[in-house]
Amino acid sequence: MYISDIIRRSGRSIRSAKIRTLLTAMAIAVGTFALSLTLAASNGAQEFVDQIISENFDPSELIVAADESIVGNADTSKPQEYDPSFGASASGAGAVIQVRRLTDEDINKIRDLESVESVREGIQLNIQYITREGQKKLVGTVAGFSPSQNPEALAGNLLRPPASQSILLPEGYLEPLGFTNPEDAVGQKVAIAVRKPVNTATLDPALIADIQADPSRLSQLSESNIVIEEFTIAAIFKKPTTSQPGTELYMYVNNDDARRLLNITTEGTAEFGKFLTVNAKIKNGENADTLKAAQADISELGYYSLSVEETQAFLNQAIGILQAVVATFGAIAVIASIFGIINTMYISVLQRTREIGLMKALGMRKLDIGRLFRLEAALIGLIGGLLGTGLSLIAGFVANPIIRNAIDYDGDLLRFEPLQVGALVIILIVVSILAGWLPSRKAAKLDPIEALRTE
Amino acid sequence: MITVKNLSKIYGKKENTFTALNDVSFKIPEGATVAIVGKSGSGKSTLMHIMSGLDSPTRGTVEIDGNILSELKGKRMDRFRATSMSFIFQSFFVEPNQTSFQNVTLPLEIARVGRRARKSKALAALEAVGLSDKVDSKAANLSGGQKQRLAIARAIVNKPKLIFADEPTGNLDSSTGDKIIQLLFGLNKATGSTLIIVTHDHELAARCQIRINLKDGVISSMGGIKTVVPVAKKPVTKASPRKYI
Repeated sequence: MYISDIIRRSGRSIRSAKIRTLLTAMAIAVGTFALSLTLAASNGAQEFVDQIISENFDPSELIVAADESIVGNADTSKPQEYDPSFGASASGAGAVIQVRRLTDEDINKIRDLESVESVREGIQLNIQYITREGQKKLVGTVAGFSPSQNPEALAGNLLRPPASQSILLPEGYLEPLGFTNPEDAVGQKVAIAVRKPVNTATLDPALIADIQADPSRLSQLSESNIVIEEFTIAAIFKKPTTSQPGTELYMYVNNDDARRLLNITTEGTAEFGKFLTVNAKIKNGENADTLKAAQADISELGYYSLSVEETQAFLNQAIGILQAVVATFGAIAVIASIFGIINTMYISVLQRTREIGLMKALGMRKLDIGRLFRLEAALIGLIGGLLGTGLSLIAGFVANPIIRNAIDYDGDLLRFEPLQVGALVIILIVVSILAGWLPSRKAAKLDPIEALRTE
Repeated sequence: MITVKNLSKIYGKKENTFTALNDVSFKIPEGATVAIVGKSGSGKSTLMHIMSGLDSPTRGTVEIDGNILSELKGKRMDRFRATSMSFIFQSFFVEPNQTSFQNVTLPLEIARVGRRARKSKALAALEAVGLSDKVDSKAANLSGGQKQRLAIARAIVNKPKLIFADEPTGNLDSSTGDKIIQLLFGLNKATGSTLIIVTHDHELAARCQIRINLKDGVISSMGGIKTVVPVAKKPVTKASPRKYI
């Protein structure tokens, strides 16, 4: 028999048992649906991460830290011995770890490296408040503006780096600060308040006695420690959809201003002049080999570095684990559906015993009879695969606009790659053929005399 | 020419043996109508299975046009069956969900006949059995007699030299059965194929040129070729079988 005839006969057989075929195919479709959506979500997430990285990080920069736990995995299973030079301890996922920080001395060592073009402390500090005349005081975070950041200006000029004593505000601060539109805000002055730490060493002993007598004076004391600096609004920018989560309301100043503000808030404390990480821009850092060489230089000095690519890999790993979980469930569903196919195919063979017997009597080859049933299984797989991927495409079509609105992202978080979808369907067909193997063998081995025996 | 020589078929082993055929020999000339007659258990079905190569004998040989069946193996046997013989069964075994046309083309597909030739052959075969108006009807919608005619069309479509009919009238009322027999004999005359009918109906057997009576696996009597065979005076259907050559 020609393959085309076998295909037509298989198709006919499937059409004559529509409900049975559909139910079996549905089982496959469920698994396919899960797998297809997982693939789509992982493509979307991958792209989302890539976009976040590319819009927030400069690939020619390295994140440098003095402590391995910042860029890698520290062993948190055992307590570490106390070391006063570490400055402070941090709590990471329940375990207390000491983190060695970078000092200006460290930063200078890195800056002096031949391969390093410039070093920038990645500064973020919580200010007391931002305000302007006659308006509310609002809390916030001020950060040094990184040259690789790329927010969209609604008004004003996004200088890189911003001019001294000028500030870039996200649109979220407009209305609370009493502005009606971005253009009005540009050029206006705002006050940034930071607080000096209370330094008991330099405190007047008489004041200490006062506070002991009247504890309510403590708040006055801390209020008196507030330093207010005036900044000019240089630009208002639109909240970038790909910003790192939690940074939507960051205000940006140039790195020197940020450093000065930070110094005010940390002066006289153990935190002063210490940084978890700095960003080192590498000469010709776009070249992967140059970047590797620079990483080697930095590690020779005893510091640890992380490239954007490595950061990305780290994020992707997290996505990958999530995917693996969903994909496993999808795969389990597919495996479960295999038994459905085997069962359906056995029923089909049983129902068509006479027909098989007749075909064998008329000289149809074993091989062709086997093919007839394997193809029938393949068609069930095809239907299930198309059904599952089709449903997942519809789900993506419905869900994408909703997700887009929810996270304010202009891409699709569920991205279907035609090649992947096609490969998925083909894999399902192969799996179905394998599932149809035993029943098709039963059909091929059927004894025509037995099959054709009348009662 | 079919030569059956010293055919024996023994089922079972040692004490529990059952001899279905015991040293059966005969010759059938080409184009003959043959009846294998006997009660159930006489071995007539076993004989048909062995003659068609579906079963193998314990001893002896079947030779069809110079081919010794037991020497044809696997693919060659399939090919031989696909091109040289076909079957008609008591229960028709037509596929109810398929159209008449689809039922008839099955042997052609198996024999790898090209699609265009397939169509003309199938239509000619359906015409020969008088089912020209039922080409696209599902077999399920045909009457018993029509189903058997469809099965006959399927049997003759690839012009086999040998047609086995296993109780072809067993499931039909006598007048329908009679028409089917007339059709079979008419086609036999027209195409020159050998027709071997397995039956317990002596009346039907009497109309065949050769009768092989089986009893307990042995030939009890054999009617010669000289027996006069009544031939249908009128064509059975509107379409004359003679057109089908």
